[in-house]
Amino acid sequence: MPNNATQPAETSAERSLVVGHWPHLRARDSIPRIMWSVVAALVPALVASGYFFGIRAYLHVGLAVATAVATEAIIQRLRKVPVTVGDGSAVVTGVLVAFCLPAQARWFVPIIAAFVAIAIAKHCFGGLGCNIWNPALVGRAFVHIAYPTDLNPSSWPVLKGGHFLADLGTVTGGLPEGVHAVTGASPMAHFKAIATAHGDAATVLSGKLPGLWDMFLGRIGGSLGETSALLLLLGALYLIYKGWVRWQVPLAYLATVAAGAGAFALWKADLGADLADRFVAYHLLGGGLALGALFMATDMVTSPLTNKGLWIFGFGCGALTILIRLYGGYPEAVCYSILLMNTAVPLIDRWTQPRFFGHKK
Amino acid sequence: MGRITFPGGVHPPSTKWTADKAIEALPLPPRLVVPMAQNLGAPPKPVVKKGDAVKRGQKIGEADGFISASVHAPTSGKVAGLESVVDAATGRACEAVAIEPDGLDAWADGTNEPRDWLGLSADEIREAVAEAGIVGMGGATFPTHVKLAPPRGKTIDTILINGAECEPYLTCDHRLMLERAAEIVVGMRICMAATGASRGVVAIEDNKPDAIASMEAAVRPADAARVRVVRTKYPQGAEKQLILALLGREVPTGGLPGDVGVIVQNVGTAAAIADALVRRRPLTERVLTVSGDAARRPGNYLARLGTPIGALLAQADVAEEFEQLILGGPMMGKAQFTTDLYVTKGTTGLLAFRRAAIYDHGPCIRCGACVRHCPSYLNPSRLSVLGEAFLDGDLDAIDAAMDCGLMDCILCGACAYVCPAHRRIVHLVETLRAERRKALARERERERAAAAKLKAEAEKVAQ
Repeated sequence: MPNNATQPAETSAERSLVVGHWPHLRARDSIPRIMWSVVAALVPALVASGYFFGIRAYLHVGLAVATAVATEAIIQRLRKVPVTVGDGSAVVTGVLVAFCLPAQARWFVPIIAAFVAIAIAKHCFGGLGCNIWNPALVGRAFVHIAYPTDLNPSSWPVLKGGHFLADLGTVTGGLPEGVHAVTGASPMAHFKAIATAHGDAATVLSGKLPGLWDMFLGRIGGSLGETSALLLLLGALYLIYKGWVRWQVPLAYLATVAAGAGAFALWKADLGADLADRFVAYHLLGGGLALGALFMATDMVTSPLTNKGLWIFGFGCGALTILIRLYGGYPEAVCYSILLMNTAVPLIDRWTQPRFFGHKK
Repeated sequence: MGRITFPGGVHPPSTKWTADKAIEALPLPPRLVVPMAQNLGAPPKPVVKKGDAVKRGQKIGEADGFISASVHAPTSGKVAGLESVVDAATGRACEAVAIEPDGLDAWADGTNEPRDWLGLSADEIREAVAEAGIVGMGGATFPTHVKLAPPRGKTIDTILINGAECEPYLTCDHRLMLERAAEIVVGMRICMAATGASRGVVAIEDNKPDAIASMEAAVRPADAARVRVVRTKYPQGAEKQLILALLGREVPTGGLPGDVGVIVQNVGTAAAIADALVRRRPLTERVLTVSGDAARRPGNYLARLGTPIGALLAQADVAEEFEQLILGGPMMGKAQFTTDLYVTKGTTGLLAFRRAAIYDHGPCIRCGACVRHCPSYLNPSRLSVLGEAFLDGDLDAIDAAMDCGLMDCILCGACAYVCPAHRRIVHLVETLRAERRKALARERERERAAAAKLKAEAEKVAQ
């Protein structure tokens, strides 16, 4: 500061002015605001999971969230960086990882899944914003391989509303009391049968499958949060309205799956128009696609930055999902499709960088 | 009409509290301190010394080279001495001429008399503008006579008068369009005459309907000009964005508006040009907005160059206990560390806030908001990450940032405004640019040294 003998210098020396770089105005959005809004958007589906699957659903979510938050806090302590569990991002991961697990998974499965999600998928890569893969999906993929029977049980619970308080004592066991189990494969496994020509399409589609309306509302077996397409859609619409979920991803994703399933039904499996409709509808409502397309693929950190990139990303997720479902080794394709496309995100960003202002293409 | 705009941009709250406050002439302060550094480029050299008597409009600082602008005495009186003051734009020390007014406010000989500018040639107009010390008064302070000299081989067809005033709080251009519309139109016509441009366009954001009406009334059919309404959006007033919105022309990278046949002048500059040409009045005063939540009597003030900031704060009844002082608007204005500052040609506004806006910055969560709002179509997220990498010691980050359009950033801060992690994107971009300049300088130095060594060896061999 130059030495100045004029009067104001003396008075201003008393005052301490705060200096920062422009812009001095900021919009009201913040990371905690976004993350807690995502949590809020998941609450309807969370409440419904208790209704559909009993109190074990809440227990799973509670264990996963507690593990995610505790793991994040401990790792941030160890890394000697500020502890930021209050920003809600670990809570989002905890809820999402629990949503990927069925109610009858054993109690330690959500704990392990949440730990892997936060410790390995998130913090090994540098923490919030630095991870390549969606942490919740990495957690799910880990337990899917480690405990396959917990993730794909031979029986699925069905709705028995009003009983969800009755099964507190059975949390360590298998299926809670008062909840009926239906034995059999998931809808997706049925479609696999069609794809591999092991089943007769007409019987499969008219047989043991739950009704489409039940699937839309969530009255089917499956993981906690992946059953009610309706409530997930409600939450996602709120986030799309706020601008924190980019609509391009779910739209491209779902449209690609619908187009792929439709094309397969009409030309490969020769199902005819009315059966093809049902085939497409089951593909859209089943197998956790709603959760994946609306909440997993739209994760900001692991999806592209550019609008064009978001379309490509959504399309890629859809194409991989339908390929894995129809031709792959096992039916639950959403998780791995998104993880594979996460891997491609840096490349997509590079390819879709728009022309800079004033540059020729 | 009002939907014309550019891609990207943001909508900060306008907070233009002073839009209906008429321009008020600030009483002549007891002492004026006129900084020499008031223009982009080389600051002028003082040509008066302590004890000299000066009159209003008399040159006290001579332009130093072509990209420089003379400075004139803002009133009549005695030179109290040469001082060193803080240049508010850069925070560095600069020379200043202190003047004690004699209260007569007498104009110097040859100034403040009518002139028929219509008979002047383009060169004569440019010379008169240079003599009057006019610079871009929207805040950029680029010498206007340089702007009015189109590069060789370039034809200028349009003069764009910029009345967008997209910064929140600021209303000085708005008031000028209401109160000095006729002078603005004359200034535009002078610019057209100086450059051979065949048409004029006055651009105003659609949040100022009274200014639009005022300017439309002032433009006569013979002026070959029209008022065009642009959408209220920041940074609508940025030159390149305004040209794209109105004319669909994109200034090439590294280029100037002249490269696409356009010259943009701020409304305050246009009025100053009219004053200089029609009334032979050099630039000695300007209108600025004093606002912010600490100002109990915010308003638009006509202040002489060299007016102490304190006099304006007192006039606007600014509360004693304010934490932040910004010269300019809140989006691109500079936060000051001292109130010991003086009004210059580029002072568009003075904002005092009771509480400083301090934001903790976090990691980028790749939400993409910056990418969607960048008016230069850059990836600000990437640039900020590269900036941090550089600060962590990754020297290659500068080259990587160059490939990411480092030099195409207009520093408008739209990215940082929308960033939910409150990242210091503009700061990091500026850091990278400064480091690149340093690297280039080092490179040139090395080349010079190598060339000198080679030459010396060649001479040795020759002997």
